[in-house]
Amino acid sequence: MSNFKDRNIKCVIEILKKQNPATTKEILAMRDLFPDLCAGCTSGGDVMLAGKELAEQGYVEKKWTSVGFAWKLLKEPEIE
Amino acid sequence: MVVWERIRRDFPVLGQLYDGKSLIYFDSACMALKPVQVWEAMEYYYKYLGACGGAGRSTHSLGSETSMLTEDARNKMASFINAESPNEIIWTRNATEGLNLVAATIPLSKDENVVTTTLEHHSGMLPFYKRCKETGSELRLVEAKEDGTLDPADFEEKIDDKTKIVSFVHASNLTGTVAPLEEVIKIAHEHDALVVSDEAQFAPHQKLDVRDIDVDFCVLSVHKACGPTGIGVLYGKYDLLKKLDMYMVGGDVIEDVVYEGGEVIPKYLPPPHKFEAGLQNYGGMLGAGAAVDYLQEIGMKNVHNREQTFSRKLLEGILELEKFEVLGPLDYKQRAALVSFRPESDAVNHLDITEYFNEMIPNYKILMRSGNMCVHPFQYQIGINPGKGEGVVRASLYIYNTMNEIDIFLTELENFAKVID
Repeated sequence: MSNFKDRNIKCVIEILKKQNPATTKEILAMRDLFPDLCAGCTSGGDVMLAGKELAEQGYVEKKWTSVGFAWKLLKEPEIE
Repeated sequence: MVVWERIRRDFPVLGQLYDGKSLIYFDSACMALKPVQVWEAMEYYYKYLGACGGAGRSTHSLGSETSMLTEDARNKMASFINAESPNEIIWTRNATEGLNLVAATIPLSKDENVVTTTLEHHSGMLPFYKRCKETGSELRLVEAKEDGTLDPADFEEKIDDKTKIVSFVHASNLTGTVAPLEEVIKIAHEHDALVVSDEAQFAPHQKLDVRDIDVDFCVLSVHKACGPTGIGVLYGKYDLLKKLDMYMVGGDVIEDVVYEGGEVIPKYLPPPHKFEAGLQNYGGMLGAGAAVDYLQEIGMKNVHNREQTFSRKLLEGILELEKFEVLGPLDYKQRAALVSFRPESDAVNHLDITEYFNEMIPNYKILMRSGNMCVHPFQYQIGINPGKGEGVVRASLYIYNTMNEIDIFLTELENFAKVID
């Protein structure tokens, strides 16, 4: 079973595979689609941290818009 | 006279550039930064002692100095809150553990009730929720007002002669509300009910005198008071601590464990050791002692006066923009040094706001927390739905902040309001 952080990373990827790009608000609203992956408190901080890590590693592009950050999946990381 | 510039220099975190930017730290309600004096005290333990302390353990030179210094830290903590005796100070992992300890060990029967409020941090509510579920006792909730204030009349309505304990937060980590603690304690004591107050957000910022307010139990979060993480304090009146059941058992809490007639018979130590099972966080205790020394040297009145000036500026500055809803009372005198807010328009998620201030401001990183601050019930009560990802942004202040930082933040918040308009 993957750890807490990896599950949230997969959560963000699976959401972005469904809707790319998506805003933070849209990502948080879609967490219900992947309840086994999207873990943590409802406030969504864990998902935000996962998204930031993907952005830092170059898998996701994070861009500011007037309705918040938009997240775009550029390439899918290989996760076991 | 306090030289605040010198105080700020005691916090090396603030002297660094992070990703090439200066830090404006507005997240002290979550975690206060640590002055040099605190980590030097901890370093002393780890570098020169590193041994067991505590009741009846190693009596060699390193062990006895550890025991002496940790008991000295207990004395300092007792003095910080004006406890009658250091034996009323229990070291815990954090304030949450202290609240769990009281909730789990206080004698409580099915026909008795517990009173708490909708404004509690989950750590103040859930231990009592859990205990009431176990005993079948009633958990009565006082609803905070829409503006986050608590009315003593509402406590009067809920507390009766069957109330065993009243648990509530002295200063809210969400709304900043400072509760009418003394009035509620008076009401509770008229019914022979005990009071436990959550002082995590109050004690680091204002003088707490447990004897003056006559509170029965209270908890402190050392990491919010310039101290290290992983250590907290439970205060209790000594006679009441003696009456609590055991919590964790094992080493360090016993006078003897007799083996007689094929049975073991444990004989437990009195408080505070009764509640401090196993090897303790000795470095943390020394850090806690240094932290309260540090605050006492500044003077809690000085801390409060400065913070009140700053939080007034912060509160009024946010309100003047007329673009944000502020949680909690609008009178700065009723508040602790924090402001939780959210945009009036629902367009941008709270996480995006903190990330914007973390990343998008030229030359600065303004560090705040967003979310629900572990106070979900009150947000549901006032129409913020944590379950749908709704939440707030919280800016919280402490002794190292400056008026210039608040000015920069307010300018950037005004710019942000234009961006999302």
